[in-house]
Amino acid sequence: MHIQNIKVANEGTVNSMKTREECKAYVDALIKVIACYRHLATSVGGSSDCSNLRDELKRTREKAQDFAVANRNKLTLCLRDKNLPKDDRVEMERLWVSFSSSLELFHADMCKVFEMGQSFSFSSQNNLFVQTGMSGATSDIAARALSVQNINYDETVASMDRLEQKDEEEQIDKVDKMIYDIEMKVNVLRWTVEAKAPMYTDPLSNDTSSVAMLSLEDDDNDQCCDRGQVIVSVILCVIAMVAVVLSVCVVYLA
Amino acid sequence: MTIKHCDYSQHYRPRMAFTKKIEALVLEMQDPDTGIKTQTQRLVITTIPHAMTGHDILEWIINRLQILDEEAQNIGNLVVQYGYIYPLQEPKNLILRPDGSLYRFQTPYFWPTQQWPAEETDYAIYLAKKNIRKKGVLEDYEKENYNILNIRLNHKWDFVIMQAKEQYRAGKERKKADRVVFEFQERAYWLVHRPPPGAPNVIDYGLDRFSDPNENQVTQKKTFDVYRREIIFNQHSMMKSRVKSSVSLGGIVKYCEQYFNHDPIMTGCLPSNPWLTDDTQFWDLNAPLSEVPTKLRVERWTFSFRELLSDPRGRQDFQLFLRKEFSGENLAFWEACEDLKYGDQSKVKEKAEEVYKTFLAPGARRWINIDGKTMDITVKGLKHPHRYVLDAAQSHIYMLMKKDSYGRYMKSPIFKETLNKAILPEPTKISESKFPFNKRHRRSSPSPVILRQLEQEARAKAAATGPVDITQLCKFTSPIPHLTVYTGFCEPTSPTGTALCDFPPPSPGLMTLPNSTACPSPICVAIESTPASERKFEPSSISTRFLSIAESTEMSVSSDSSTAVVKETKQPSHKSLVALSFSRFLKRGCSNSPIFATLSPKCPAVNSGKVQPMNGEPQHQPQHNHHHHHQGQQKTKKTNNFFQIKVDIPSECRIYPIDSGDEEEEDCPNSVKNNTVKEVICPWETITEEGKAG
Repeated sequence: MHIQNIKVANEGTVNSMKTREECKAYVDALIKVIACYRHLATSVGGSSDCSNLRDELKRTREKAQDFAVANRNKLTLCLRDKNLPKDDRVEMERLWVSFSSSLELFHADMCKVFEMGQSFSFSSQNNLFVQTGMSGATSDIAARALSVQNINYDETVASMDRLEQKDEEEQIDKVDKMIYDIEMKVNVLRWTVEAKAPMYTDPLSNDTSSVAMLSLEDDDNDQCCDRGQVIVSVILCVIAMVAVVLSVCVVYLA
Repeated sequence: MTIKHCDYSQHYRPRMAFTKKIEALVLEMQDPDTGIKTQTQRLVITTIPHAMTGHDILEWIINRLQILDEEAQNIGNLVVQYGYIYPLQEPKNLILRPDGSLYRFQTPYFWPTQQWPAEETDYAIYLAKKNIRKKGVLEDYEKENYNILNIRLNHKWDFVIMQAKEQYRAGKERKKADRVVFEFQERAYWLVHRPPPGAPNVIDYGLDRFSDPNENQVTQKKTFDVYRREIIFNQHSMMKSRVKSSVSLGGIVKYCEQYFNHDPIMTGCLPSNPWLTDDTQFWDLNAPLSEVPTKLRVERWTFSFRELLSDPRGRQDFQLFLRKEFSGENLAFWEACEDLKYGDQSKVKEKAEEVYKTFLAPGARRWINIDGKTMDITVKGLKHPHRYVLDAAQSHIYMLMKKDSYGRYMKSPIFKETLNKAILPEPTKISESKFPFNKRHRRSSPSPVILRQLEQEARAKAAATGPVDITQLCKFTSPIPHLTVYTGFCEPTSPTGTALCDFPPPSPGLMTLPNSTACPSPICVAIESTPASERKFEPSSISTRFLSIAESTEMSVSSDSSTAVVKETKQPSHKSLVALSFSRFLKRGCSNSPIFATLSPKCPAVNSGKVQPMNGEPQHQPQHNHHHHHQGQQKTKKTNNFFQIKVDIPSECRIYPIDSGDEEEEDCPNSVKNNTVKEVICPWETITEEGKAG
């Protein structure tokens, strides 16, 4: 699968900001989906494995591939633009490296899942799944993955590809080839790319959801109270206090 | 670019073959009926199922595999070490405790495989996640690794951080118990694949192959020659003698039975195992050349001739015996062959010639008795000497010794005496030390330099006792001062011992100073002197001349010894100095000096001008300070043989001025110019033969 039309896009400096944003969004989306895919992959063969999981895996995989393709198109487009200003180019290269690394990760995960799926298949009679202690459903993660917005991209991507490919192996091959292709097409020198991300980062900058409540020390396993339970207990206390106050009032009045 | 993980055909030679086996075992453990019973782990608030006690696991393994406790423990440890089961309460301690501590199975995603080794990117992501979760509290080694990875993976650090964040957030979507389990799993995985410092890295299997071992590497062009070689190779393989497995197995059994008592691992070793008790007596008693061997060692000599020869002490004893029997040249020859085979190959030519001159040439000093055919082959081979040129002769001599002398040796009084004197060491008493932290007195082993000196002194001493024996045989089999084990030969036997030499002793008339008066100056004085002029043989007044020569030589020697420059000083000096320098000079291994050939108790019947002095070592002369004891002997020898000077020197004045470098091996090639008579010429050497020594 190759890029249909290679426009040496002259998006122009006017739109460079916009393209940067777009590319960044693409890459972020891809990374997110891949992270979810990995979580799902760790459950394969374990006690929380079930056909749902396989299904979720498949869907996540397809989504990831879509994103990958989109990313690829976009980034190659940008990077092949000879007139790209230097700053943009640096940024693009950074994104490019992220993109290719995430593809590699994804590829590895896919291969592992494929192989494990074969050993722990549902079709065989005696399927012994490893009792790993996982009991919950993974649907939440899948939902998270699948909820990533489909960014509108140029539909030259050919969604017909997705429809045709049902086979996992083909998908793996596809990603494999993609990795190879992208290296061939765009030459990004890894050693010239400097990352911007800090070493020690706070993940919660964008995420307003719960603060990490679960802290696992090495030896001891006591855990802080879960947030939900904190709220519940607070409410109970409040109610108890109200009850006390009311009873006092009653006593006074009575 | 990140190099995609190449298989390099590892699947043709799997390194982690244990994975399949352990996986099968682990899967069997999952069986609800026959597997391991699980319980729930209670954490503070949550309960997590699928925990097992170590004891249960162990029991299950014992039952399933029908093995003993110890082995099951071992297997259990392996399973935990490789990460298929991880401990819940002591995560870093990867062993299987047979008590109630809890374990859980690892998810197959995190099982070790060879195809997908743990990647650095993944590790970086994991550390970043942990960092996030714990807000920067990482272990020291983790911090270090994190920094290293930051540098190494700097180009994709964005990705690492982003992926870590995303994974962290995605993990939140799970319910709490699962989150806990996932963290356990990940931590266990990385404890196995990136062990903390001090823990063994069990995953490491060494280097990866670079090519497929089954693939035909070289496609040779199939020429005629290739086929011809193939045919010869196959023919040879067909001709190879094969042993029936029953026979060979019987041999192995016999060997094991015979050596069972001698093996320090199977039956303990007698004083004690030095590694266990810190008592090095065992090594001292069994040193290669120990005065009194142990009983076991002597017993081993009776097993086979090969054992006797391979033990230096045994060889020494045997050599003593051979001396008495006057067949020491066999052993000497054998040792010379060994030296040729295993020694310095740059000197192969010289060594071969030495061997020829000493052992093989007709009328050689220590002629060995081999049949004509072998002699022919050997001599022919010596034209182009190489390592194995003396193999035929060596095996002949070996068989001779084995069949003949060995038997007699076993019955000889020498051996019986050695056997009687052999000691049986006492087992060491293990003192129960009250203090477990006793400071063990560890002695460092003596420096090899000192050891070597001692060894050489011992050799010299043994050689010094030689004169009592009529045959000064095999000076190099007995320890020789500064010879390597096999270099050089025996100095010829003393004239009185000519009867012992197995070659027809030359007539007295022939036994002369191999060199003449000419020697002294050329030898040591060398450089400046005009050798040519002095290479005349003056039969007359040899003795006096001799003495003066000796003296002058010595003078020059002494000066020589002090400085490396040879000066020509011909002032006679004090006798003591003479003696001193003389002995030193001898030690210089002036093979060129025929004088010393006679002066030393060597057989002047050396027809080869090149007499290897006893201490035949190339001139390293000044530094042999530890051979002082040797001087005394030399002195006596000198005086002894002083009057044995014969006339008619085969003046093969292979007298090389010392400075002209070539020390030891100035052999027939160069020599052989104006040899009068009795010159052992290597047959391949000279074209003009002046006659062979009779």
